[in-house]
Amino acid sequence: MKEEEVKIVGFLCNWCCYAGADLAGVSRFQYPPNMRIIRVMCSGRVDPVIILDTFLWGADGVFIGGCHPGDCHYLQGNYYAEKKIDMAKRLLKKAGVEPGRLRLEWVSASEGERFAGVMKEFTEEIKELGPIKFEKDEMEAACIAAADYSLRILATKEKELLEEGNKYGEVFTRHEMDRLLDDMVREEYEAKRILLKLKRPMSVKEIASELNLKPNVVFRHILDLKRYELIEAHEIRDNTPTYIAKVEEGVE
Amino acid sequence: MTEELRIGVFICHCGINIGGVVDVPAVVEYASTLENVVYAERNLYTCSSEGLEAIKSAIHEHELNRVVVASCTPRTHEPLFRATCKEAGLNPYLFEFVNIRDQCSWVHMHEPEFATEKAKDLVRMGVAKAARLEPLEELTSDVIPSAVVIGAGISGMTAALSIAKNGFYVHLIEKGSEMGGLLRRLYKLYPTEELAKEFLEQRIKAVEEHERVELHLSSSIKDVEGYVGKFKVILDENGVEKSIDVGDIIVATGAKELEPEGLYEYDGEKVITQLQLEEKLRREDLNRNGIENVVMIQCAGARGEVVKYCSKICCMNAIKNAKLIKEANPDINVFIAHNELQAYGEEYELYYRDAKKAGVRFLRFPLEKRPKVRKSDGKLVVDVFHERLLMDIPLEADLVVLSTPLVQNPDAEKLSKMLKVPLGQDRFFFEAHVKLRPVDFATDGIFLCGTAQGPKDIEESISQGYAAASRATIPLAKGYVSSEAIISSVDEAICVGCGICESVCPYGAVEVVETEEGRRAKVTGVKCKGCGTCGSSCIKRAIKMQHYTDDQLIAQERTAFVTEREVVS
Amino acid sequence: MEDKAVLVIGGGVAGMQAAFDLAEAGIRVCLVERTLSVGGRMAQLDKTFPTNDCAICILAPKMMDCYRHENIEVLTLSEVTAIEGEIGSFKVKILRKSRFVDEDKCNGCGDCARVCPMGILNKFDMDLRVRSGAYIPFMQAVPLIYALDRDKCMRCGLCEVICGKDAIRYNQKPEIVERNVSAIIVAIGFDPLDPSGLTEYGYGKYDDVITALEFERLICAAGPTGGHVIRRDGKEVKRIAWIQCVGARDTRDNRPYCCSVCCMHATKEAILTKEHNPEAETFILYTDLRCFGKGFQEYVNRAEDDYGVKYIRGKPGEIKGKENKILEIFYSPSSDKVEKLEVDMVVLSTALIPSEGVEALAEILGTELDEYKFFKLKDPYNPTGTTRAGIFVAGYCQAPRDIPECIAHGSAAASRAMEVVLGGSYDRRA
Repeated sequence: MKEEEVKIVGFLCNWCCYAGADLAGVSRFQYPPNMRIIRVMCSGRVDPVIILDTFLWGADGVFIGGCHPGDCHYLQGNYYAEKKIDMAKRLLKKAGVEPGRLRLEWVSASEGERFAGVMKEFTEEIKELGPIKFEKDEMEAACIAAADYSLRILATKEKELLEEGNKYGEVFTRHEMDRLLDDMVREEYEAKRILLKLKRPMSVKEIASELNLKPNVVFRHILDLKRYELIEAHEIRDNTPTYIAKVEEGVE
Repeated sequence: MTEELRIGVFICHCGINIGGVVDVPAVVEYASTLENVVYAERNLYTCSSEGLEAIKSAIHEHELNRVVVASCTPRTHEPLFRATCKEAGLNPYLFEFVNIRDQCSWVHMHEPEFATEKAKDLVRMGVAKAARLEPLEELTSDVIPSAVVIGAGISGMTAALSIAKNGFYVHLIEKGSEMGGLLRRLYKLYPTEELAKEFLEQRIKAVEEHERVELHLSSSIKDVEGYVGKFKVILDENGVEKSIDVGDIIVATGAKELEPEGLYEYDGEKVITQLQLEEKLRREDLNRNGIENVVMIQCAGARGEVVKYCSKICCMNAIKNAKLIKEANPDINVFIAHNELQAYGEEYELYYRDAKKAGVRFLRFPLEKRPKVRKSDGKLVVDVFHERLLMDIPLEADLVVLSTPLVQNPDAEKLSKMLKVPLGQDRFFFEAHVKLRPVDFATDGIFLCGTAQGPKDIEESISQGYAAASRATIPLAKGYVSSEAIISSVDEAICVGCGICESVCPYGAVEVVETEEGRRAKVTGVKCKGCGTCGSSCIKRAIKMQHYTDDQLIAQERTAFVTEREVVS
Repeated sequence: MEDKAVLVIGGGVAGMQAAFDLAEAGIRVCLVERTLSVGGRMAQLDKTFPTNDCAICILAPKMMDCYRHENIEVLTLSEVTAIEGEIGSFKVKILRKSRFVDEDKCNGCGDCARVCPMGILNKFDMDLRVRSGAYIPFMQAVPLIYALDRDKCMRCGLCEVICGKDAIRYNQKPEIVERNVSAIIVAIGFDPLDPSGLTEYGYGKYDDVITALEFERLICAAGPTGGHVIRRDGKEVKRIAWIQCVGARDTRDNRPYCCSVCCMHATKEAILTKEHNPEAETFILYTDLRCFGKGFQEYVNRAEDDYGVKYIRGKPGEIKGKENKILEIFYSPSSDKVEKLEVDMVVLSTALIPSEGVEALAEILGTELDEYKFFKLKDPYNPTGTTRAGIFVAGYCQAPRDIPECIAHGSAAASRAMEVVLGGSYDRRA
């Protein structure tokens, strides 16, 4: 093991992709040995928090394999997986990581050769991107944002909003949905970045300059975080109030 | 007190299948260095009787409380190893499978070093998960040994009678005042041409006479609650409310003929539907009224006109009625204007040929140019576009018969909400799987049959009636239902009762209920299939998908490239 | 309790469903399958209409459930040779042919197959791929136990040497086993017609005239070409036509019936072709388009509108080969016209006919067949009852039907058998 190898973790659904990987084996289709497979019953089980945590702990790429649309053993699990992975990609982007490091593929139980092909392709892609680089704070913020209820609601409700509309009967277009997702992801990510910064007391101005955000934006987040009792006022320093996180919120 | 973890690891050579590529002794040696591992060994074939014995004796000898086997695929061998653990007195869910053959040695045959490293990593991940496994139990719950069949058409009657003959009590619920459904309105049946009335009388008698069938006529369903094994059905029977406790439910509510209002000059007199024609045939009306020309129009309202689908039975029904008219009076001209003729299968194709021989004339129109009905000098004329001549052929008609599709009953929507079972885009009840589960709903304990599921003929409705009876008999005969051990569970202290889990569960296994603490999600174990989508959707991460918990998955991914000790530090 | 069991003959979808329902209801079942694996014809399909579900993906768990069920005894490579008795107490003799492999020892590793020097055409792959003399018919076979093809085996002994489980048994003898059962369900399925006799289609004469079931193996990712639709010379197929009702709705060989599934089957294959290669041109030549099932019309609409599959009404008179492997199809859109379509592959939707050996089995069972060798019903409105009491029929061997209808029919036959076993309703008049 001399050469620098990229590290990939794969979450495969039991019924289709895991079976496809088995078939690749039975048929002896060779592919690069970079991926470590974790079996789940359904791709719908894969939580964006876990995906981001996998990156946080050093994976250069994460692969999710599910059943083709319509083939899901649990009817719709793969549909929800798609939305959740989309959410995880948006957060990755926020944390400055190439979203291409996360890949979702539908592989059926009969597509052994295709599984091997996808493995080769994905490994090549990750090799091209090279070892992952991120600021720990940024990835942690993405993780915590993925655990936040607002993004979780949005990822699950996307289909409903697109097809049936919200509580007011307003049906979203794809474009509107994208804008909403982008806005919400940015908001949550910024808020979590601020929260993580406040492990030590800081003022709005200090945060703004460290995170390269406008002070009024930071102030808005500070008010929200205070309202949810995640932070509290610490002390007034040079006529400027500073804040600190109340309890340390971690991924687990 | 947390027990001390004692993990045993068994690495399989699988002859040369693993051992020929992966350095198995090195993996064993590595495994024995891992946290919580107290024993590691290798076997030529772990799945052989010697291998299984080795696991059992190691469980006793080394007091193992977790077992990891690294060999082939859990998809074929997990049940075997779980059973082995169970035989040795270990909860079978304290077993973890690591696949180092299908997904390692077989796919990295030319890179043995990498394959060995990967096998070590996979074993490490398996051990990390094993350390977090929890014992699980398959839950069972009792089944009330009786069923409800909703709808006493031919498929519902068939289902009820067969369940009764299988030895169980059945409540047959019919909203009308008589049994028979759509069949009551038919004159003769294809392909035997026996009288529908006589056929039905025999069947009704058999149902009425069976001691285990309890008939509820003029009854409607008010409410349904419960789950497989324990349903409570509230009925309104002739204005009296009744409550019935049953083990399972069959939906056999049938369908109705589309009213072709506004189509093809439909008036119910000269332009009628096939069912109205059946009535005329029964009364032998046609001869008395001096009818000379009959034109039937197929796909009236179907295949893109009102509904999108093909109604399956209308071609054969038209052919039968045309043949009957022709045979009763060969002087009457009978035309069938059709697009594709659905005389499928063995008997229907032959029957179609007989109808041609009897003198029924068939004219094919393209679906984009459907026939038109107009009045000319007080007479009806049907213009049928001829595909070859590329022009309309005007057919004079004393009677126009529209072959309209079967459509869902309007009250199906209400029933679907009560039972929490879906309707498809065509508004018919939507089965659990289009291919493999034609008479099941995704929800356990509720089944369907007959035209409630989609248009079908008598033979197929009967076939489905029997099929639903078979499916419904299973829990009744077993006397219990068992849930998967791998199900989700809710931490009520965290749950806020938002209901997002309920919205993603395809089985109705999670529901938000009122508790003393407020609204909380609740899992009905026997309904849960263990996909875990509720867990990954829960906004508070309050749902734990057992055996695939966040904790376990995170342990696996974190140890994919570093050791558990490094993770902890 | 010995006689409270049911015999199911045939391990395809209908037979498996019947066996599974009975077993779940606590009834012991003996499932007799003629080949090495359960799964039947459905296992050979790539996808299924109208959902394009992957056939083996959805079938394999069902095969496993059936095989593993504590109440089901699966006897593969076995045939029923005699029955005695009547409804409620049949005595059945079953011939268990030899696998030449110890079923209890083999763990399906496949070492024997890799060392075996023999090359034999694999029937499961419609003879489009070579397997070795030690084999399983397909990778997902259930049970996953190898067998030796003794006719072709030259006893080199390599498999015996390599087998780490000591499972090879060159001298294994066939045996006759007996089972007592209360009822019998026959579900032996169908065979595709060999279209060689219908010379106008040029099957066997031209390389790229193939049958629909052969096409299924071609387009299957796990099939002989890895899912690539290619001509025999390895070139990609650009224009491809399906010809419907080959040998069906045809009075020449007394096969006037419609096979019920081929219109949709061809539609599915055309859609899959388009999915693999959107540039390919696909044509379906048909007489009447039979799209009567749930979601079928919608599926045909999608094929036409979204995938650009072209449906042409007209029955081909002849297929002729031209230079460069081009095939010319001459067909009549109407009685007074002949038109020509040039393609580079022709797929014949051949008639699906009662399985080989159906007459012998009917003889053994004492049940009647109809004119076309389908199992005859005593009462046409009692769709699983044969002419003999206690013997029920399920699936295509009674009449043409598609997969969900076969499955419903399998369950229906199970309920009739439950009536005998659980309810004890012995109606000797059948």
